[in-house]
Amino acid sequence: MAALALTPVAASSLLINLLLPAGGGGLATAVAALLRLIGATLPLTLLFATTDAADLLNDLEARGVGRRAVFVLGAALAAVPRAQARAVDVIEAQRARGLDTEGSWRRRLRGLVPLVTPVVIGSLAEVEDRTLALEVRAFGAPGRRTLLRRLPDSRLQRAARWTMGLLLALGLAARAAGVTGP
Amino acid sequence: MIVLDQASYRYPGTSTWALPTTSLELRPGEVVGVTGANERGKTTLCMVAAGLAPVTIGGELRGRVLVDGRPTVELAGYELAQRCGVLFDNPTVQLTGLHRIVYEEVAFGPCNLGLPLAEVHERTQAALRILAVEHLAGRNPGHLSGGETQLVALAGLLAVRPGHLVLDEPTSRLDPERSLQVADAIARVAGAGVGVLLTAHDEELLARVCGQVIEL
Repeated sequence: MAALALTPVAASSLLINLLLPAGGGGLATAVAALLRLIGATLPLTLLFATTDAADLLNDLEARGVGRRAVFVLGAALAAVPRAQARAVDVIEAQRARGLDTEGSWRRRLRGLVPLVTPVVIGSLAEVEDRTLALEVRAFGAPGRRTLLRRLPDSRLQRAARWTMGLLLALGLAARAAGVTGP
Repeated sequence: MIVLDQASYRYPGTSTWALPTTSLELRPGEVVGVTGANERGKTTLCMVAAGLAPVTIGGELRGRVLVDGRPTVELAGYELAQRCGVLFDNPTVQLTGLHRIVYEEVAFGPCNLGLPLAEVHERTQAALRILAVEHLAGRNPGHLSGGETQLVALAGLLAVRPGHLVLDEPTSRLDPERSLQVADAIARVAGAGVGVLLTAHDEELLARVCGQVIEL
């Protein structure tokens, strides 16, 4: 998935640096730019490609992160699919009322306006309802929450984490000492 | 017991009393229905009876609202949750959306209370059992039908073990078959000693489960 997402960026970088006179950095510059992009995007992409959001939240809580912070993160992660679902509902409702959301670009653009308001206002209203819903399930109770399950954390996983941390520290130290390039 | 004694309420920033002066009593195991035209204050009554108004959403309350003998305005939100659960008319907003399976969703409330794990499991299983939805325990909460979502949201409230439930038009989005399912669930909950305040337009539902119906 990550490779697919990066393909157009990689192609653009190579195209600009190898073929166009304005870029003109050559293969080394193209590869360096690509590696920087991969470095910036790959960690998050890998995290969400390999980790279930519920597991992530559960583990953060097990490591002492507060329930409110965990919930805010969870709500942020769920916000995009939720907004998509709401948009689909609104589009279907508007279509049922005769709104034309297909055809030429002009028509689609015109059809967009009546969709935006219900999606945005609906999402805002939903925030209040969800806040109340949390309240009636004792979310504000003092003390630590009970964790329903604890994720397995094998010796190998712990060793991998420590190794990655060590590599990160070494990389930063090498960078600070000027061993690696800019 | 929930007591509204000459209670009226208006939302923050408004001059109109959304809930006209109202008195009622809800005893353990009793199902009281509330009916009335739109804009007569049924949803507001639910908020007031459960203490969410004014404790969580602000506004001005006149008269007294007592839950188990204590004024709602003196209780914190999590204390109210253990005395009175509220089911909104849109059950999808009642689910957290953070859990992979229904079992974890229902256990959310007991987990919030920091109860021992064994008790969390006991309450969760009991809540699913009383609503006869144990078969949904392993399902994804986001992939349930409207009626199933309603029942799971209700189970999530029951798992907190409130002495009272306030249900705001619990069947308004359901077909007759699902409405019947919810009505049976309400009867079972009341049979377990929980007092239920229920708003609805559905006269059949009110006649089926309510011992008393009040018109606003």
